Amino acid sequence: MALKGLDIFKLSPKKNCKECGSPTCMAFSMKVAQGAVSVDACPYFSEDAKAALNEATAPPMKTIKVGAGDKEMSLGGETVLFRHEKTYVSKTRYAVAICSCMDDAEIDAKLAAIPKVDYERIGERMFVEMIYLNYAPSAGAEKYLEVVKKAAALDRVLVLGCTDVEVAKQALELVKDSKPILNGATPENYAEMSAVATAAGVALGVRGADINEIYDTVAALEKAGNKNLLIDVGVNSIKDAFATAVQLRRAAIKDNDRTCGYPSIVRVGGLAQGDKHLQAALASVFTMKYGSIVVLDQMTYAEALPLYGLRQNIFTDPQKPMKVEPGIYPLNGADENSICVTTVDFALTYFVVSGELERSGVPLNLIINDAGGLSVLTSWAAGKFSAGTISKFFAEHDIEGKLKSRKLVIPGKVAVLKGELEAKLPGWEIIIAPNEAVQLVKFMKDLTA
Amino acid sequence: MTLFDVVFSGNDTVYGLTENAINDAIAQYGEDKAIAFPDTAYSLPCYYGVTGTKVGNLGELKAALGVVKTLMTREKRLNDVFMSGVATALCAEFIEVLKYMDGAAPYEAPCYGHLGDAIIRELGVPLVTGDIPGVAVILGAAPTPEEGVALVKSYQAQGILVTLVGDIIDQCAQMGYKTGANVRVIPLGKDVTSVIHVVSVAVRAALIFGNIKPGDAAGLMEYTFKRVPAFVNALGKLNPVVVACGAGAIALGFPVVTNDVETAAAVNIKVPKSLIVQPDVEKFNATSLEARDIKIKITKIDIPVAFASAFEGEIIRRGDMQIEFDGSRVDCFELVHMKEATEIEDHKIEVIGPDIDEFPVGSKQSIAYIVEVAGKSMQSDFEPVFERKFHSYLNCVEGMMHTGQRDMIRIRVSKDTFNAGFRLKHLGEVLYARVKSEFAAVVDKCQVTIYTNAEECTKLRHEVAIPAFDKRDERLNTLTDESVDVYYSCIMCQAFSPSHVCVVTPERLGLCGAVSWLDAKATNELDPQGPCQIITKEKVIDERIGEYEDVNEAVRKFSQGALDDVSLYSIIEKPMTSCGCFECICGIEPLSNGVCIANREYAGMTPIGMTFPELASMTGGGVQTPGFMGHGKHFIASKKFMKAEGGIERIVWMPKDLKEQVKDRLNATAKELYGIDNFTDMIGDETVAEDPETLLAFLQEKNHPALSMEPMM
Amino acid sequence: MPFTAKSGKFNAKINAVEVGTGDKKITIGGENVLPFYTFDDAIANAPKVGIEITDGGLDNEPDCIKKYYEGCTSVVDMAKKAASFEGVDFLSIRLEGGDPNGQNKSTEELIALLKEVAEAVDLPLAVCGCKNVEKDAELLDKASQALEGRNAMIMAAKEDNYKTIGASAGLAYKQIVGAESAVDINLAKQLNVLLTQLGVNGQSVVMNVGTATAGYGFEYVVSTMDRVKAAALSQSDATLQMPIVTPVASEVWAVKESVASEADMPEWGDQEERGIDMEIETAAAVLVSGSNAVILRHPESVKAISKMIKELV
Repeated sequence: MALKGLDIFKLSPKKNCKECGSPTCMAFSMKVAQGAVSVDACPYFSEDAKAALNEATAPPMKTIKVGAGDKEMSLGGETVLFRHEKTYVSKTRYAVAICSCMDDAEIDAKLAAIPKVDYERIGERMFVEMIYLNYAPSAGAEKYLEVVKKAAALDRVLVLGCTDVEVAKQALELVKDSKPILNGATPENYAEMSAVATAAGVALGVRGADINEIYDTVAALEKAGNKNLLIDVGVNSIKDAFATAVQLRRAAIKDNDRTCGYPSIVRVGGLAQGDKHLQAALASVFTMKYGSIVVLDQMTYAEALPLYGLRQNIFTDPQKPMKVEPGIYPLNGADENSICVTTVDFALTYFVVSGELERSGVPLNLIINDAGGLSVLTSWAAGKFSAGTISKFFAEHDIEGKLKSRKLVIPGKVAVLKGELEAKLPGWEIIIAPNEAVQLVKFMKDLTA
Repeated sequence: MTLFDVVFSGNDTVYGLTENAINDAIAQYGEDKAIAFPDTAYSLPCYYGVTGTKVGNLGELKAALGVVKTLMTREKRLNDVFMSGVATALCAEFIEVLKYMDGAAPYEAPCYGHLGDAIIRELGVPLVTGDIPGVAVILGAAPTPEEGVALVKSYQAQGILVTLVGDIIDQCAQMGYKTGANVRVIPLGKDVTSVIHVVSVAVRAALIFGNIKPGDAAGLMEYTFKRVPAFVNALGKLNPVVVACGAGAIALGFPVVTNDVETAAAVNIKVPKSLIVQPDVEKFNATSLEARDIKIKITKIDIPVAFASAFEGEIIRRGDMQIEFDGSRVDCFELVHMKEATEIEDHKIEVIGPDIDEFPVGSKQSIAYIVEVAGKSMQSDFEPVFERKFHSYLNCVEGMMHTGQRDMIRIRVSKDTFNAGFRLKHLGEVLYARVKSEFAAVVDKCQVTIYTNAEECTKLRHEVAIPAFDKRDERLNTLTDESVDVYYSCIMCQAFSPSHVCVVTPERLGLCGAVSWLDAKATNELDPQGPCQIITKEKVIDERIGEYEDVNEAVRKFSQGALDDVSLYSIIEKPMTSCGCFECICGIEPLSNGVCIANREYAGMTPIGMTFPELASMTGGGVQTPGFMGHGKHFIASKKFMKAEGGIERIVWMPKDLKEQVKDRLNATAKELYGIDNFTDMIGDETVAEDPETLLAFLQEKNHPALSMEPMM
Repeated sequence: MPFTAKSGKFNAKINAVEVGTGDKKITIGGENVLPFYTFDDAIANAPKVGIEITDGGLDNEPDCIKKYYEGCTSVVDMAKKAASFEGVDFLSIRLEGGDPNGQNKSTEELIALLKEVAEAVDLPLAVCGCKNVEKDAELLDKASQALEGRNAMIMAAKEDNYKTIGASAGLAYKQIVGAESAVDINLAKQLNVLLTQLGVNGQSVVMNVGTATAGYGFEYVVSTMDRVKAAALSQSDATLQMPIVTPVASEVWAVKESVASEADMPEWGDQEERGIDMEIETAAAVLVSGSNAVILRHPESVKAISKMIKELV
């Protein structure tokens, strides 16, 4: 980041008037520095100071908002090239592609399949967020508009893949209120296409034969005043698409070339040319390296389960561990009499431990404590996983009312809690598990043998 | 006769024998006759290792002997002694290889003679890992067969590989003692020249495991000295040939222990740590291990109950208790003391006073235990580091509970554990075994003394323990950034904050509050490749803010280039980064011209306008955030706390709880630095203000010094 | 004005490590750019794909993989068949039956099997242990001995057993030493330093810096690899320039998304497709993060990933 909070504070009015919503000018300045609020929220910054700050604090990559109402989502706005440097801001969105060249039955089947993948994973809804509608001139404008209408009914953000200005205009007439993306600007039509997109108030996708054409077209559009753009990395070849996606992102963030700083559209279905396994591989590649919208030919659970899991992992704050919901998780067909096992709510711990417990095949109730999303030893050290917090959690969640077993297995690394737990949870037998999760399978089998 | 005379004459004797043997063989078979040791790609291994030249036939052997002759210089210098020793060893190899002519099998059971490469590869792995901690070469005859076998057995029990040469082989056979490679006792041969077969093992180990190039004699000797933990036990009367061979062993770095007092006295030259006279064969083991610096790994703790971390949280209730030692009622203490190696007998565990079975069941008694340690790299600064681990060690014993530290300990032993046979010496065993294994890098010897007489405990507590604790506290208090030569890095939390590096100094502990300069120092000593590395502080850039070129270089390196420069004492100019585990965050409050501190436990608002979590999200992650910094609680009372901006006088606000915790130390520092009494009374808290304006009014009323200091920005 | 790209080529490069012998020998690593950044410079050696079998043979394979080994009656048969699948660069045999908490097969039994397999195939080999550090020390020591001359990857030495495995694989029998650490750049570095201090040539070391299945704490894997490559290339840190080999299969085929049957999870659909995509997507992600080789299990995954690599390099 170009400016530190303290530098911004020096330019601030130092009135602590609270009109910006922050309690002090210092707090406000820190938020501006983080990019969390715009300096415009302060009525007292001088115009010169604001202009200077806006320029200095603006992210090197534009944030493009698409979709309307509760479907609105942000794309781009990234400030780093690697997730360990700072959190990635906008997660990759997935679209399923439909072409007006398909016959009606195929189109209907594809549309019908889209809502099937819809599930929750660690507090996040996983579903196909966008539909990419490709215009095939051979099938005619009418067919395309019909497809657009049908797809609109699914209430996803639409991406209109259409390079025909007239057809695009008509399609937008139908759906512009839902703020779709018009992916149709080319070096040839960009002026007209930009006018259509701007009139409808939607973001415009830009494509070109190669990275140079794309770059020049974006520069021309910027010059004409349209900065509500996305970049389609094209389907020439996998190698080219990857090179374009990476080079543009790198130039934007590292070299501060703002013309490169727009979200990307990667049509992996087109790149894989019908090889669904290759498509899956590419979806993963472009989730990792700089695809803002990844367009697939299909999204079944087979593609989705790893892909959404990957995305959830990649787009987390590197300093904030993922948490699972505290509570009782019955495993392997457990009932109220099954043995209890407890651990913390750090997602990684949960996955590793529950995976091993499932492999043991032993019916058991896994009780996940509220430990602030920290690992066993960290939460223990921070006082968030102690005999006191565990017994409090048991009381608050009425564990004794819900379960009849009075055997509780605790992680080996906190064996030190045993005595105190016995005192705080009278009637419970406290059993020490091994230190490592991999030893759980044998341990649980032996324990219940 | 001097040592020179003895070695030179021994060498000459062997050389003469070798020359004759080679000439005879050539006369009989001709120069082209092939010679080789079986099952090795390095024949002749010792000669090849030293010179880089392979010998394949008698003619080449003859030529090699000429090379050997050049080593046999006769100046009366130690180097000539060693080179003659090496020459003797090479002659021995030549004599031995002649025995293998025409695929002969010159050795018969139990003797092995030459050992093939495959055995060396197999033995080499445990040697490199330390699973075989040493190689003993026993040569000659012990005073009695019993003593001989006892010596062999003592090494075997320690996992040391034993090779036998000469009469000791017969002594073992006579006693019916089992030998063989599978039990790691290898009789080589009865001629003294067969000792070359173990030298050959050492040389090939250097070539195979040390990547030493054949012919790199200096590299070879350095490797055998540093990496092959072999030593020689020469039993019985020394003759010049044996002494000459011994000189060869010493040249390779293998000390020789002899019980021939007479001959040793006659050759009045000392080779410290290399030629050692030990008249008592029973003490050969200890003497040899010490001379070769061999440490035996402790794998098992010898106690009648289980030892595991699973017992760490066990609570022993009054009714289940056999005995209690209670430092809150009677005099008790635990203490680690560093001693000279000569003052300690390793693994000596002594109980002075009645044992558990001599006290009434359920009674409260005194106990004091002193763990004395010695080691070449031991430092008295590690004493408290070891001591702090006792709590965990003793709690891991099944049926034992330990709380507190220093002279405020309490220990309970359960009836079950007592009935299983647990006595006080076992407490000593636990401490001995854990200290020796966990701190093996610095502890060579350790002994434990346990006292249970009430009067004695009282006396020792006041005369030994309390002065020792006071001295330590004194050391901590006088330990300043200026008084030390190095700081330490700590990157334990890089898993969460990839670019964060803590620079730990005596007056500025890690911001998590858990790593002091002494801890970092001990961590570095015990785990030299670990998270705490030495940072020098020789090149000052700016004294005021505490910026050093060497510190910057270290930070750059350990952050993988993410950070360029940091200051140690400023929160505005190049402040140190914060990870995420800080105990506290301080941040500038501009209105009052000072800083507010919030601790992790504090949930409310601060006058800065941000809560702890908000502050944390802005300061964490290993990025520099001028005006804000994470730190440990202990740092608040440090004289180095934002020294560049004026120091602790700048503190205008902190939560009440935190204020209570740091009050005494902070007030003391304020008094010392600025002559201010009860400084904490001038500092606001959440009961006074959570906004800057009210805080300012409070500070004005109290006439807080920060208000009249230079503007911070 | 066309786009002007600044080159991201580095002066340092990842070590190029040869594995195996003869015609089928492969080289992993050697690049001086980030993974697949061909626009910065040519990738010296394309990442390689290994296929994994275990000592458990067919019984140990999920049903959806068994069918690819039709007609095989032994582990050796499977090894031969595995070597023939499209896109396979090397063969990995995982001796998981040695786990004392599992089947606890003897070292002799497993080494005898390993020798048979090694004789049956001429592909470069990787040997993976059973994940129990004490047993692996013994097992991989003997494996190094048994494979003398094959220049195989011995996977892997960990902090607790690196001395034995390093000394055996790296010093006594001159194999390639795998150095395994758990998703932490500093641990990875430390282990490499320790191995080098032991005398192992750093040019004969490959790293497994830890892995996970996509969705299962995978962010740690990505960040570790990103940081290792950054340190190796931009900071020229020689202690981290070892190529990365990532065993994906053993992680992927343990999570419920891959192995839950369609009967148990009807809405998830076909189990084989789920397993394949889980393996492919995880492998693609570790390759983009910097793995120089991956070890996979399903022949379709191997095919797809090897095609992806060809397209990208």
